[in-house]
Amino acid sequence: MTDNTLELQQEEKQFSLAKDAFDRLIANKLAVIGMLLVVFLFFIAIFGPYITPYDFLSQDLQARNQAPSWAHWFGTDDLGRDIMSRVIYGARTAVIVAFSTTFLSLIIGIFMGSLGGYFGGKVDAFIVWLIDITMSVPSLLLVIVINVSMKPRLVNWMDEQFLLTGNSFYRNTILVDFVLVFGSLALIKWPKAARIIRGQIMSVRNKNYVLAAEAIGVPTPKIVWKYVIPNSIGPIIVYISAALGEAMVFESSFSFLGVGVRPPIPSWGNMISDGLRVWQLYPHILAAPAAVLALVTIAFSFLGDGLNDALNPRQWK
Amino acid sequence: MGRYILFRLLKWIPSVFILLLLIYALVFFGAGDPIKLIFLQAPGDVAYDPDRVEAIRDAAGLNRPFLVQFMDYLGNIANGNFGNSLVSGRSVNSMISAALPVTLKIGLTAIFLLSIVGIILGVIAALNQNKLLDNLIVGFALIVWGIPVFVAGPLIIVFLVLVMDMDVPYGWSGLLSFKVIVPLLVLGLNPMALIIRQARAGVLEVLSEDYVRTARAKGIPNYQVVVKHIMRPVLTPVVSQIGLLVIATLNNSILIEKVFGLPGLGRLTETAIKTSDYPVILAIVLIFSTVVMASNLLVDISYPLLDPRAAAKKTGDE
Repeated sequence: MTDNTLELQQEEKQFSLAKDAFDRLIANKLAVIGMLLVVFLFFIAIFGPYITPYDFLSQDLQARNQAPSWAHWFGTDDLGRDIMSRVIYGARTAVIVAFSTTFLSLIIGIFMGSLGGYFGGKVDAFIVWLIDITMSVPSLLLVIVINVSMKPRLVNWMDEQFLLTGNSFYRNTILVDFVLVFGSLALIKWPKAARIIRGQIMSVRNKNYVLAAEAIGVPTPKIVWKYVIPNSIGPIIVYISAALGEAMVFESSFSFLGVGVRPPIPSWGNMISDGLRVWQLYPHILAAPAAVLALVTIAFSFLGDGLNDALNPRQWK
Repeated sequence: MGRYILFRLLKWIPSVFILLLLIYALVFFGAGDPIKLIFLQAPGDVAYDPDRVEAIRDAAGLNRPFLVQFMDYLGNIANGNFGNSLVSGRSVNSMISAALPVTLKIGLTAIFLLSIVGIILGVIAALNQNKLLDNLIVGFALIVWGIPVFVAGPLIIVFLVLVMDMDVPYGWSGLLSFKVIVPLLVLGLNPMALIIRQARAGVLEVLSEDYVRTARAKGIPNYQVVVKHIMRPVLTPVVSQIGLLVIATLNNSILIEKVFGLPGLGRLTETAIKTSDYPVILAIVLIFSTVVMASNLLVDISYPLLDPRAAAKKTGDE
């Protein structure tokens, strides 16, 4: 009996912080709307290709540039492809890029941040300097340069590998587009994560429990994993939410400029770019992907703000 | 103060150097042969003759080692010469000097306007904390910050032309024409949340300070309290956002100039990307990074001027 109550109490204590934050998040109506939209987006991204009414590539030249109707909710584009199916597939592109980029940048950030925070001195100075440089570079331009300059070489390499091995995996040049977008985005996004981790390590490293762990010989990576990261989970969640939204915007920006994911793979960015050419005659081709992207970014903005309030309740008050 | 500025400048030079080296290496090793690119872009123009290509490469000095070419490029930049475009053969200097003023005019005007309006809105929001006006301002800022400019721009064009039946805002005809005011507004509104957030948080922090209560207790009229006692300390956190603001505005200008057909640096970037015109891309990267780093430097220098407490802290540290 007493054991049970003790367990219950402990459980309550363990979850109280997360529950507190969750309650604060739920109380924020805009954040809840944002969260629902984001969950819906993920659902669409995962199951989209199975629920779309048409294939995103199938062309129907009898039905080109049709206005929205019951058969085609968002209308069709200049090749008679169903825009709604393409927008749904674009959600998949956006979500894949967002998750891989955020994950990669988080790993780089945690690694660099813990290097700096732990070793201090010259290593730290060097990492801070790297962070400063990376943050003061006009990010869009740098990513564009990386993409444009690396692409021909990577495509060549893939071709050579295909000729050498005959493995059809190397014929997939869409993969190159994706890998370049993740890679270059992660390269400019890691400083924020690194800053969070570094700051956290600085504040935690002289606490008794960390000193004790060091004294009994717990290896550094384990200390970072067990004590530092759980302590910075709040800021990291806020970072992840913001990074997901930002990565989606960046991905569509490149595709909009014709750098990132290229047709025929639909991305909201390249659909908007296509729509810009014909908007005076067929505004729906432009409006559909633009409105969806706008909705998604607003959803992330609301969710991120709600999370920020819930987890670091000092900022907006 | 003078020493501080000098120190910052000395730190700035290696950063720009590393950045240039990185970008140059990316282009040099990644992109491959510019001469081949020229031939690829003008097929049928000249028969592809390996010997002739080799001769052109020699003449252009492209067969020299990487570091030699890089130092050569740095020397040229130091003399203010960015080389020639691979595509049109025009000097990059003339292309940049035609495009830069457009981007600078729109960008600076947008940043100036959004800072002023943003501070005012932030202060109003804070003074009405958690009331309807506050929620409206904060919600508006979040929505505008959320929507990328290349989404807002086209949607506004569609609305203005197809619903309101106005002229198409496309092209450049001076800063104050209707065509340019629309992109200017889009460019200015997007990052305003950065300023509003800082100004609002700053005011909320100051409102509970003793000196504000004292000023109120002495019967100083409300607007004077706001202007004299509240606004000044709020400026410091707002100014700290300018670096981010400049980056956001530069990123946005690349996108918005495509949407509204403005002949600025962003437009130049886009065409240079499409044609792999590396001398132009290198020059633009250099200019953009210089602008960002210079604005960061300005922020650091203006800190002690705005907030004497920060100055005291800084000299105490050193």
